Amino acid sequence: MKRQAVYFYLLPSLLFVIIIFLIPLIYATFTSFTKWSLLRPDLGIRFIGLRNYVNLFTDSFTWYSLKVTLLFVAGAVSIEIVLGLAFALALNTEFFGWKIVQSLYLVPFIIAPVVVGFIWKFILDNNFGLVPYIIKFMGLGKTVEHFPLLANPKTALLMLIIADIWEFTPVVMLILLAGLKSLPSEPYEAATIDGATPFKKFIYITVPLLRPSILVAAVLRTLTCLQVFDLIYIMTGGGPGRLTETLSFFAYSQAFISYDVGLSSAANMFILFIAMIFTIIYMRVIGVEVE
Amino acid sequence: MRKIPLRFKIATAIVVLIGLIWTMTPILWIVMTSFKERAEQMNIPPTLFPKRWTVQNYAEFFKRADFIRSFSNSILVTVSSTAISLIMALPGAYALARFKFKFRNLFAFLILLARMTPPIVMVVPFFLIARFLELNRTYFPIIIASSFLSVPFALWMMRGFFAEVPGSLEEAALIDGCTRSQAIRKVILPVIAPGLAATSILSALIAWNQFMFAVVLTNSSTRTLPVLVNMFVSERNIDWGAMSAAAVITALPMIIFALLVQNNLVRGLAAGSVKG
Repeated sequence: MKRQAVYFYLLPSLLFVIIIFLIPLIYATFTSFTKWSLLRPDLGIRFIGLRNYVNLFTDSFTWYSLKVTLLFVAGAVSIEIVLGLAFALALNTEFFGWKIVQSLYLVPFIIAPVVVGFIWKFILDNNFGLVPYIIKFMGLGKTVEHFPLLANPKTALLMLIIADIWEFTPVVMLILLAGLKSLPSEPYEAATIDGATPFKKFIYITVPLLRPSILVAAVLRTLTCLQVFDLIYIMTGGGPGRLTETLSFFAYSQAFISYDVGLSSAANMFILFIAMIFTIIYMRVIGVEVE
Repeated sequence: MRKIPLRFKIATAIVVLIGLIWTMTPILWIVMTSFKERAEQMNIPPTLFPKRWTVQNYAEFFKRADFIRSFSNSILVTVSSTAISLIMALPGAYALARFKFKFRNLFAFLILLARMTPPIVMVVPFFLIARFLELNRTYFPIIIASSFLSVPFALWMMRGFFAEVPGSLEEAALIDGCTRSQAIRKVILPVIAPGLAATSILSALIAWNQFMFAVVLTNSSTRTLPVLVNMFVSERNIDWGAMSAAAVITALPMIIFALLVQNNLVRGLAAGSVKG
């Protein structure tokens, strides 16, 4: 194969990497070292070195929103893995109508995140939402009477996590289902001969063999959870106060509400750094899978 | 087929049922609300099915000029960014699956990094560059931004599909006198057609559902459906019925699309995320 031919095939995606990815990224890196206010274009763009980063890392709110982000990731990803595994195991036996069930399970993932946010905002609405009604019905009326679930500091983040679980468990389920379907049958046959119970088979064979798929799902979901934006924008707008502001939302509001492009870019570089660590972990994990 | 004990069948049935209720209740709730009259949407206790069915909520939407506009904008953006992402991703995916070349690992890493980069990181530069190039009144920024999300995805997925095709297949075609591009078009593409279909649909899904870029990079004339939906949600007095109708209309095309090609979609999704 001639070398030129390889580059001929690579050209379109190289153009993508350079023009759509690297140039904007370098541009963003550059702006993170500047003082740039969209509100005051007359001040121009001033190079201020590491000042944005110093401001970012000395602001306690940065660490708070990092904490919110990590709480969100930990809560959503762990439950998505457990639920996804349960659904995958249930769908791994081909019962009557499993194909229809599988496609129904997928629907939340296909719906636009904006619509998912709206659906949950509606269901959680204090006046005529389904969930507060059920809570009142169970005799816990006082808990929601004066504290709408999405405006209550104690529950707002939890509600966002639940909406994320609803939306993305199908993805985890699919990854784990694919993993389950590719498991070898020999260990199970051997274990059956040895008289192992199905529960023991699950713990000693399925879980260890499925570990790579579980890891892939976990890292992939962690990465996309770090990016969560649409749900928060629609459901709480970062509120009550700024209690549910994740790093992504913080970076967004710096750029498009405070119009501080420099600080926003610095926050973005921080997010990118975290994402990069997980990307490298992800590469290692799928590397293990392939070999 | 292994014999499955009865209690496991029961356990499976329970899990499936709980899963169905958990997944479908919110959706059913919205769909039913979209067919309720205004007074009934606020009934306490709430009821699932409308006592009197109405299509009023939908009718209102189809009368609105900005709805029609956003709908066609969404179609335009989705179709163009899907086309662009396939054009950009296909040859690269092929090269990645077939050739060993210098910087191959670096290239693969950059593509993966692009896929893993949180969109928020790219919003500010896209916005500023679009403003600088004076493209902010056009569809360009949102189409490019959507393809930023779908190209790495498509590339990663198609690489898996290309790698599944045995290399001997195109070698045979080459020996028969085809050029490589002929071999790809006539031999490989038909083989990977299901994968190609899945990739196109997922790329379309990404573009259709995209909100964050759209909210920053579109204006009143280029606005897409998710942005329009958001505008209603953030109003002080939400008309839940009309909103539900809007939500159904936004979600429906992609759901139909996905169900039509369900098998390919599932295979593609699994391939795109697990095989790498």
